[in-house]
Amino acid sequence: MATFTNWMSRKTPIPRFGVALTVGVLLLSIPAASAVSEPKVSTSGSQSPLDARGVVEKTVQEVLVIMRNPSLSQQERLTSIEQIVYGKFDLTTMSRLVLARNWQRFSKEQQVEYVSLFKQYLSNNYGGRLSRYDEFEVNIKGDRSESNGHVTVRTAIVGGQFEGAELDYRLRNADGSWKVIDVKIEGISMVSNLRDQFKEVVSSGGPELLLEKLREKNAAPASAD
Amino acid sequence: MTNDRPSNANHLVATIAALACLLFAGIASAEAEENKDPWERFNRGIFRFNEGADRYVVGPVAKGWDFILPDEVELALGRLFDNARFPIRFINNLLQEKLVYAVEDLGRFVINTSIGLGGLFDPATELGLKAHDEDFGQTLGYWGVPPGPYLVLPLLGPSSPRHVVGRVADSAAAVYPYFTMFWVPALVTSTDLLNSRSLYDETLTAERKSALDFYVFQRNAYTQYREDQVLDKEDSESDDGDLYELDE
Repeated sequence: MATFTNWMSRKTPIPRFGVALTVGVLLLSIPAASAVSEPKVSTSGSQSPLDARGVVEKTVQEVLVIMRNPSLSQQERLTSIEQIVYGKFDLTTMSRLVLARNWQRFSKEQQVEYVSLFKQYLSNNYGGRLSRYDEFEVNIKGDRSESNGHVTVRTAIVGGQFEGAELDYRLRNADGSWKVIDVKIEGISMVSNLRDQFKEVVSSGGPELLLEKLREKNAAPASAD
Repeated sequence: MTNDRPSNANHLVATIAALACLLFAGIASAEAEENKDPWERFNRGIFRFNEGADRYVVGPVAKGWDFILPDEVELALGRLFDNARFPIRFINNLLQEKLVYAVEDLGRFVINTSIGLGGLFDPATELGLKAHDEDFGQTLGYWGVPPGPYLVLPLLGPSSPRHVVGRVADSAAAVYPYFTMFWVPALVTSTDLLNSRSLYDETLTAERKSALDFYVFQRNAYTQYREDQVLDKEDSESDDGDLYELDE
């Protein structure tokens, strides 16, 4: 539970031009505004959250460049974004986190099929949607080391219909490189959400039913309308 | 669409109802420890009703709305409704000891109501003043009241006993019910909901198509979203339990 002193240290956006401060009633926000600075991450430690942040920064920039390239067709755009995402996301780990304990109930062959269906499912359902949202910038707000060695990079969308929407990327370091294992959209974790849905399916019809449902969904992608 | 902004005369009733719900939420949440969704049968029933209503009535009307109005107008209306919710944000920021947030929201309201033509435009955001969305449901959460079991309401959708109490309490903070006829707030609320539904039509359609179980999708998304709102994500180390543990 937050204490009364907390409001002093809460991160509040710095009024960009200070114009806001001319409004008398805003005077109270000065202590907060001046106390704010993004948590600077030390580069000296053995852990280097800057790398995770750098990965997100770079990925976002690459994706934005592709989305804004008018000479690409929708299909070319999707394919290029997919290539980037496959490189920066650890979709195998993600797919296993989604299954959680149920992973053990899958045979080796089922696991292999599941992982490839999962990748297809994600790019069908999210890749297609992404390409429509092309009029925004992404602002990297900060990063935070999690207790198990993961790093969360917080970003927010600036401009367009989704102005202010917050996207948090959780990254895990495997074999020396940081890869995204979860995305939280406005606080909603994709891994958690899919886990609940998949759990429901596996507990009602076992691994085979989940594979069947994914095959079905992949055959009729949501973005194909 | 229900009228959740009761007129002056209804306030006593609303307060009593709120207290009853609060008690009810406490009892219900005690038994909800193991089961995430003890009211699933009931909820799924209401969910099916809502899906039907959305498919045959609300969705088509929202599409018509979207067809008639340019996106810019819809967005402006959305900002207008958002600006009208200022008293709710202001009071609840205060109730959660977030003095700076309350003052920032006050600044937003002053700027957007004047320069922003009643809230149709949002110059405050340009000036770096962000809205801090708080409601009484979040205030209860801030002070440790559990949300209670997942609850689906007719037409209003995902909710919880705590959220219902919050809605009733917040309706007392809206200004216009005090001096308008009863149908005005009802109309305003309906228009607000319809406008939001229209703005998110694409996203909603896509989620509905891609989900393996849209009921579970909604339940999970709603629960996570409300938890996150109560925690005020930026200053919290979230407790994700076993979400990120790989089972070897």
